[in-house]
Formats: sequence, C-alpha cells, structure tokens
Amino acid sequence: MIQLHNVFMSYQREASALNGVTIHVPKGDFVFLTGASGAGKSTLLKLLYGALQPTRGQIVVDGQNVTRMHRSQIPYLRRSIGVVFQDFKLLPNRTVLENVAITLEVLGWGSKEIGKKVYHTLKQVGLEHKLNSSPLRLSGGEQQRVALARALVNEPKLLLADEPTGNLDDENKEQILTIFKEANIRGTTVVVATHDRRLIDNSYKRVIVLDKGHVVEDPHVPH
Amino acid sequence: MSRTKPLRKTTQTKDGSRVKPGYFIARALANIRQNLFVNVVTVGTITLALLLIALFLLVFSNMEGVADDWSNRVQITTYFDREMTPPEIEALKGRIQALNGTDKVIYVSKDEAMKRFRARLKGQESLLDGVQPDVLPASLEITLKKASRTSNAVEAYAARLKGIAGISEVQYGAEWVRRFTTFMNFMRVVGAILGSFLGFAALFIVSNTIKLTIYARKDELELLGLVGATRFFIKAPFLIEGILQGAAGSLLAIVLLVGCYMAFLHNTGNFLSFNPASMGLSFLSLSQLAAIFFGGVALGFLGSLTSLKRFISI
Repeated sequence: MIQLHNVFMSYQREASALNGVTIHVPKGDFVFLTGASGAGKSTLLKLLYGALQPTRGQIVVDGQNVTRMHRSQIPYLRRSIGVVFQDFKLLPNRTVLENVAITLEVLGWGSKEIGKKVYHTLKQVGLEHKLNSSPLRLSGGEQQRVALARALVNEPKLLLADEPTGNLDDENKEQILTIFKEANIRGTTVVVATHDRRLIDNSYKRVIVLDKGHVVEDPHVPH
Repeated sequence: MSRTKPLRKTTQTKDGSRVKPGYFIARALANIRQNLFVNVVTVGTITLALLLIALFLLVFSNMEGVADDWSNRVQITTYFDREMTPPEIEALKGRIQALNGTDKVIYVSKDEAMKRFRARLKGQESLLDGVQPDVLPASLEITLKKASRTSNAVEAYAARLKGIAGISEVQYGAEWVRRFTTFMNFMRVVGAILGSFLGFAALFIVSNTIKLTIYARKDELELLGLVGATRFFIKAPFLIEGILQGAAGSLLAIVLLVGCYMAFLHNTGNFLSFNPASMGLSFLSLSQLAAIFFGGVALGFLGSLTSLKRFISI
C-alpha cells in the first residue's frame, strides 16, 4: 500500500526533516509512527497525501508514484486517502452532517445518497443523533469522531492520522482507537502518527520509531 | 520497487466528474447564508466604493454637459471685402461649408444686424434714431464642430477662412477661446486624475476586503483540498459568490445613487446657478449605469479569483 524508498526531505534553510527513510506498509496493515516532536512524523504523512514533495527518493501510494505526480492529479490521489488531525479541522458554520458530506460532495454524489451514507457512517462512530448539531456544541472526543467519519465516509483505502488523540482524555482515546481498528478490519490500511505511548502500548500493532528524520526502529525492515 | 500504474481518477464508487453546475450555485448560496456577516461586509464595501465612483461620474458628466453648452459660443464672424450679390453669398457659404470643421454657416444681412443691435439696446432704442439701417456690415456667422472648438483649431480655421477670396476680415474671441480651451483641458486632467485615483482606491479596498473574507475561510479551502476536491471544485462556488456580491453591491449603489439624486441633487442646478441652461443636474445615462453594474460584477469576480490563487495550494 505504501512504499518509501530512501526518502529525503528538507525544508528551506532548515535541517533535514527526513534522512533516507525506507518503509513498506502492506495493504491492510495497521502502523503506528512514533518519535519525539520534530522527528519527522507529520512530514512523512504530508508526503503520503501529496501536501509536500520529497527532496529525493520515491514514494508509492496505492500503486501510484506520488513523486512523479502532477499537481492536478493530487486531488484524485486524496480521494482514496482519509486524513485526520489533532485539531479536527471541522467547519464551525456547517452542521455535523454537512461536515461529513463534504467528502462525498467532492465525488459528485447526489444529496439523497449522501444523506444515507453519512447517517450510516455517523452511526458507526456513535454520533447519528448529532446529525444537525454544530461541531462547536460537541465535546473534543465527539469532534474527532466527526472528523473520523468525514475521513472514512467514502471507505478510503488508506487512513492517515496525525496526533489524533493529542487533545483527548483516556476514554475518548479508547473510542478513537476502536474506530481505527474497525476501519482496519473493514480493509483500510491505517497509519497513525503519535507520541502517545499508552495508545501504542495498548494496541499491539506494528510501531515505526523515527528520530531526527531516521527510522531507528521498525519490526518489518524492508530488504 | 513496484511498478507504478498510469494515474487515473482513483477507482471509487463515484468520481468527481458527475458534479452538476446546479451544485455550485446551491453551494454558493449556502455559503452566503452560512457566512452572512462576511458577505454583508463585502457587499457593503463594494456598494460604497461604487457609489463614490458613480457620484463622481454624475458630477463630472454634468460638468461636461455645461462645458458643451459653453463651447457653442465659440463662433467666427466673417465680413466681406465688398457688397455681395445673393448668388455670390451662396457660393461663399458653400465654400466655407466645405471647410473641415464647419458645422453651420448663417448669413446675417445688414437689416438683420441692425435688428439684433436694436434688440441689444432694449429700452434705449432712441440712441439709434437717425442712424441708417445699412450702417452695419453684412456678415457670415460660422459655428464650428465640437472637435474644432479648441484654441489651436480655431486659429487654424480662421487662417484658412482668410485665404478665401471675398473675405476681408475674420473675427472670433481669441482670448475667450484660449481661456475656454485651458479650462476644458484643466477639467479633463483633474477629472482623469480624480477618476483614476477613485478607481484605484475602490479596486484596492474591494480586493483587500475580498482577500480578508477569503482568508477568514482558508480552513474551508484547505479542507476541500484534503478531501480530494479539484481546483475548479473549490473555486467555482467562491467565484459565483463573488459575482453575486458584485451584482448586489452595484445594484445597491445604483439604488442609493437614485436616492441621493431624488433627495438632493436634481435641483442643485438652480441652487448653485451652476448650469442655468438646464433645470438642475441630469442623471447618468443607461450605458453609464450598465457600466457601473458590470464593473461591480467584474470587481467581485476578479477580486475572488485573485484572492483564491493565494490560498489554494493544490
């Protein structure tokens, strides 16, 4: 699903964010990406959904070489990738339903089909009763579940999460982790960047550790 | 390394090519509803900017009208070197009419000249007692076309007149024409400077307001990019919104202009004795109003287009 070959990434006038990273993530895998702040976790995720281009190296996502991709092709790549963030990125002036519907509107779905699918997805994350609420009236955990519903509503092949539980308490962390696992069971490859040790220790999944842009620990080192 | 597939729209149940134009209009209207305050600010700014320009246009086009009236007074009078027979006068009129810049040529006979003189001396006609009616010379009065009413053009025209056989003297108010030309040039330069200053100020204020309102919604732009929206998909509702804002702003400006005109301006002519020839200021022409409307629409559209460029990263 994901193949990084000797990927280097440096921002202008700053030290390298990634230094020769090589990672393979097979289809259907569940991977934690961890390391201290500035280790390169977020940079790596941004490279995967085409928000950044690497300085050197090759990145293949779902069989598509992201490094050779024209800017106009990026939207089509992103339609098979769901992304969630620490700050949720919900639109405050739209309802929960409208926030989740955005993903399907982009794909050109009709409003009836959107309504059904969004309801179904919100039910999966336990928020079907908040359909017409404003995100501002929801708790942090609920907001993150709405963001997850938005990322999962089109059944993406890949789910990327950047510190998804950073703003949440333990109970909410558990709920979010459960949603990740359920999506994974349905076939979605999941990559979660986090420095939350408790989240990682409780899940018994593959853990890749980054330090100063290098992979320092990975149980599945590609040969 | 695995072979890369040629990139296509990713295989999904649905792809983005089915998005109907109606969706973008509905989205634009929903955006206006959901961001009402921001839209009111933008429409208000466009209205004020266009109202200022429209008021300027109103005053300027009226001043031009007044100047037009005045320029009718640029007239040339020619006298003959001898008594002319009517056929000779007709021939002379024909030759003058053929000159470049001639608008009208009127023959003023000796009798007619005396009649006019008498009319000017209204109340003191007795001064003319004993004066022979043929004491005043006959003449031709020439009105020039608008473009030939400038100081230089009148001078050149007069020189050409003098070259025609049978004409002994050419008179025109050289000093008055010179002053009038200077005044017209001054008015046009000041009008152009003020007009372009106003235009640039309006453009600057409106485009910055739109930029700020789009900046306030940059999260929405970012998010649409993240869920796989194409540039067109992201831009279209914002551009429709810009067009609607421009149309609303310019219509409101025109309504306010009509209001100002009805309430204050239509009789200021009498009050200022600015233009005694007409009964007050005249309103803008239909084409000027159309220009204001489409100017507003263009302002909204282009303002949104240039601002969006800055905030869409895909």
